[in-house]
Amino acid sequence: MREQSKYLEGVDKKDLFASGHRACGGCGQALAARLVADAAGENTIACVATGCLEVFSGPYPDPSWRIPFLHSLFENAAAVASGVDAAYKALKKGPVNIIAQGGDGSTADIGLQSISGMFERGHNVLYVCYDNEAYMNTGVQRSSFTPYGAWTSTTPTGNTTRKKNMPMLAADHGIPYVATATVDDFRDLQLKIRKALTIVGPKYIHILAPCPLGWGHHGELTVEICRLAKDTGLFPVYEIVDGKVTNVKKIPAKVAVEEYLKPQGRFKHLFKKGVPAKEVDEIQEIANQNIERFNL
Amino acid sequence: MEKLPLGLALDLRKVVPYETGSWRTLLPVNIMQTPPCNHGCPAGNDIRGFLRTLAEKKDYEEAWHVLTRTNPLPAICGRVCPHPCEDGCNRRDFDSPVAINSAERAVGDYGLEENLEHKKLIAARKEKVAVVGSGPAGLSCAFHLAKRGFQVKIFEAYGEPGGMMRYGIPSYRLPNYILRQELDNIMKLGIELECNIKVGVNIPMDQLIQHYDAVFMGIGAQRGLLIDVPGQDAGNVFSGVEFLREVNSGKYVDVGKDVVVIGGGNTAMDCARVAKRLGANVSVVYRRTRVEMPAITAEIDEAMEERIMFRYHTNPVKIISDDDKVVGILCVQMELKEPDASGRARPVPIAGSESVIPADMVILATGQAVDYDGIEVHTRDNKWISANEDLMTSIEGVFAGGDAVLGLETVSAAIGQGTRAASAIEDYVDGSVESRLASPPVIYSKDLNTYYYQKTRRFQKEALPIHMRLKHFKELYPALDPEAIIDEAERCFSCGLCFNCGNCFMYCPDNAVKISEKAGLYEFDLDFCKGCGLCAKECPCRYIQMTLEK
Repeated sequence: MREQSKYLEGVDKKDLFASGHRACGGCGQALAARLVADAAGENTIACVATGCLEVFSGPYPDPSWRIPFLHSLFENAAAVASGVDAAYKALKKGPVNIIAQGGDGSTADIGLQSISGMFERGHNVLYVCYDNEAYMNTGVQRSSFTPYGAWTSTTPTGNTTRKKNMPMLAADHGIPYVATATVDDFRDLQLKIRKALTIVGPKYIHILAPCPLGWGHHGELTVEICRLAKDTGLFPVYEIVDGKVTNVKKIPAKVAVEEYLKPQGRFKHLFKKGVPAKEVDEIQEIANQNIERFNL
Repeated sequence: MEKLPLGLALDLRKVVPYETGSWRTLLPVNIMQTPPCNHGCPAGNDIRGFLRTLAEKKDYEEAWHVLTRTNPLPAICGRVCPHPCEDGCNRRDFDSPVAINSAERAVGDYGLEENLEHKKLIAARKEKVAVVGSGPAGLSCAFHLAKRGFQVKIFEAYGEPGGMMRYGIPSYRLPNYILRQELDNIMKLGIELECNIKVGVNIPMDQLIQHYDAVFMGIGAQRGLLIDVPGQDAGNVFSGVEFLREVNSGKYVDVGKDVVVIGGGNTAMDCARVAKRLGANVSVVYRRTRVEMPAITAEIDEAMEERIMFRYHTNPVKIISDDDKVVGILCVQMELKEPDASGRARPVPIAGSESVIPADMVILATGQAVDYDGIEVHTRDNKWISANEDLMTSIEGVFAGGDAVLGLETVSAAIGQGTRAASAIEDYVDGSVESRLASPPVIYSKDLNTYYYQKTRRFQKEALPIHMRLKHFKELYPALDPEAIIDEAERCFSCGLCFNCGNCFMYCPDNAVKISEKAGLYEFDLDFCKGCGLCAKECPCRYIQMTLEK
C-alpha cells in the first residue's frame, strides 16, 4: 500500500458528500460541497437552501449527504440554521458545526434578509455561498452575482450591471470572519472552512464554483476557469478577519481577462465579430480595480 | 422497520447510491507513457524510473538496481555520456532540464562504494557465447547474456579490458579505478575474460563460430584514419587513437613544446586536452568553424577554458620535418561555400593564404575505422560492419554492435547495441521470434499541465578550477553531494507516470477516484464516473487520458 501522498498533507477526503449525486459532469458546486463537508467533518449539520445543490444531492431515497441534512426554502437557509443553533443552545447540546449553504441567488437576492438577520443576531453558524453567478437550477436566469457582460436567459445581450460584492456586505455586518475561495485551490478552501469553524459567531465564506452548463464551458475546464478567474483579478481571494482584509492571494502572473472570457460560452457574444467588444475593456477595468483595491 | 430518530427521513448509512456511471461518453484511463528522456537514451535506460526512486524513496540502492537493469556501467556513463536525455527533458521548456547525467553518476558511484552486485535472472544455461572486444558494446552484451544464464567468454586484443573506455578516454574524464571496479562487478556474473587475444590474428574467427553457439563482435573502431597530408610518416606524427592509447597505457610520451591537433571531433578534444596536461602549448586546427565541430559542446567549452588555441578555417597542407622530426605544419586558410552531402558548409582554400604553425608533435585526429584484420564480413559504405535489424552480420550466428556498426558513436549507444544484440542472441539460440512490445507514445511538454510544478534551480556540478586542472590527470569533477542529487531527482516531472500528486483524487466532483486496496494506486470507480475529464485535464504528467466509452 502506498503511503498517503505527501502532496495531500493537510487535506481531508472523507466522502461525507458521497458519489451518486445528479450534478452535471465537472460540476464546480458538487466539488465545492464535498470539500466543505470533508473539511467540516462528521459533527456537522448541513442546512441547504433550495437550488441546484439541494436538487442534485437530496432526492429520496438516495441522498449524497452522509451528515445530517436539512432542506429549506429558497430564502431561509440562514434562518433555519439560526433555528438549529437556537435549539442546540436551548437543549444545552453541542458543540456542533452548523453550516448553512446556498447558491448565489438564495444568498444575494432572495435570502439576503435572513442572512442579514442571522449575522446581526450573532448565531454560531457558518454560511457558505456557492457562487455560480446565475440561477442555474431554473435555467440560467440573471442573479445579482451575474458578472458584467455575461449572457443569461434573461440578459440575452449581456448583463449590464456589475456583480454585487457580497463578502464586503457580510463583513460590514461586523462578523468575525469572512473569506473567499475557489475550488481549484482545495487546500486553501479546506483551511478556511476549518479556520472558520473554530471561530464562535456568524461566519461567511464565498466560494467560486463554475457551472459548466450555465457558463458554457466543457466540464474538464472547471478548475482551469477558477484559476483564470483568480489570475485575471476578477475573483480576488482574501480573508476579512475582524473587519480587516488579510491573506490576500497574490497573482503569480497577471493574465488578461480575454483568457478567462474566451473559453466560456456565456461571453461568446463579446467576441462575435472577431474583435473583442467594448464590454471586454469594461471587464478588464473591473479586474484592474480589484487588483488595485486588494493589492493582488 | 427500524425506528429512526425524530426528524430523520432515512438512515444515511444504508443509502444505496444512484449509479451515475451510465451517463458517461468518455472514459478516463491510466496510461503509462514514454518520457522523452527514456526515449532519447541510446542505452535504453529507465531514467524516469531511477529518478522517481531517488525522489520518492531516497533509496540509492534501489535506484542503482533500476539503472543497472539496462546499463551495467552507470558510473562510467554518468561521467562520459553527452546525455541526449537532458536535451529531450520536458523541463527544458519550463526552467532547465533535470541534471540526469549527474544523478546517474551519483547512483553509479554509490553502487561502487557499497559494492552492490548485479542479480542473475536465470541460474545457468549450457549455451556458450563468445564476445569479441571488451568495450562498452561487448561488455553490455556479455552482461545481459550472463544475467540470462549464458556461458560468456570475452576475447580482448589489448592487455586490459575496457576498449575505448580504457585506451581512448583520458583519465581526467574517466578515472581508471572506476572502470576497473565496474568491470570487476560485471565479471562477477561468471564471465570469462581472456586478454591479449586478437580474434582473426591469434585465433581464427571460424574457430569461435564452431565452438560457440553465437558470437558477438564489439570490436569498435580502433584504427586511426589519416588524411592525405604529405610528410605524415615523420616521427612525432600520431593518429589520435594511437596517441591516447600510448598515454592511457601509462607510457611516457614526449610532447615537446608545441602540439598541433588536426580535427574537430571528440578524439581531437581529448588529444588536445591530454597534450595540454603533458605540458605543451596546444592548438587545434579545424577547417570549418566551431558550429560544424562534431565534438560535444561541453568538451569544446572545457578545452577553451583550458587555454587551448582553436584555429578555424584552417587546413593542413604539408607537415614540415627536419631530420625525421616534425618542426611545423604548413596550413592554408579556408572559406566556407555551399553545403556538401553531410549538410555542413564545404571549405574551399583561399589562394595565397598559406602560413606555418610551429609544432613538435602533430596529432591527426581525423577519423577512425574498424580494424578488419583477419575478419571477413560484409561492410556498409566500405567502412562499418553491415548488420541487419537483429544486429546479425553476413555470417550466420555472428552478431555485431557498437562503433564497428554504428560508426563513431557514444558509450551509451554502444551499450544500447549490446543490450539489443543480447536479446537477439537469446532469440537466435532459442530459435524463437523476437517479441518485444512497442513502446507507448512519447510525452512532450505541450501535453503536460505544468501549473502544478515549481520552478527550481538546476543542480550544477563544480569543475576543478583551471589552475588545478592542468598539472595532473585527476578527475575534472569531484564527487557529487548525494543530498543535492536527491533534490535534483525531485525536479523530475515524472512525465507519463503517476507520482501520487492526488489531483484526480481531490478534484473528482463525483468521488469516482479511489485508492485501490491492493496496490494503493489511484483507480477509477466506473459506477460513478461521469466522464467529465477534469482528472485528465488536471493530471500534471498526463498519466490520465480520456478515451471513448466502448
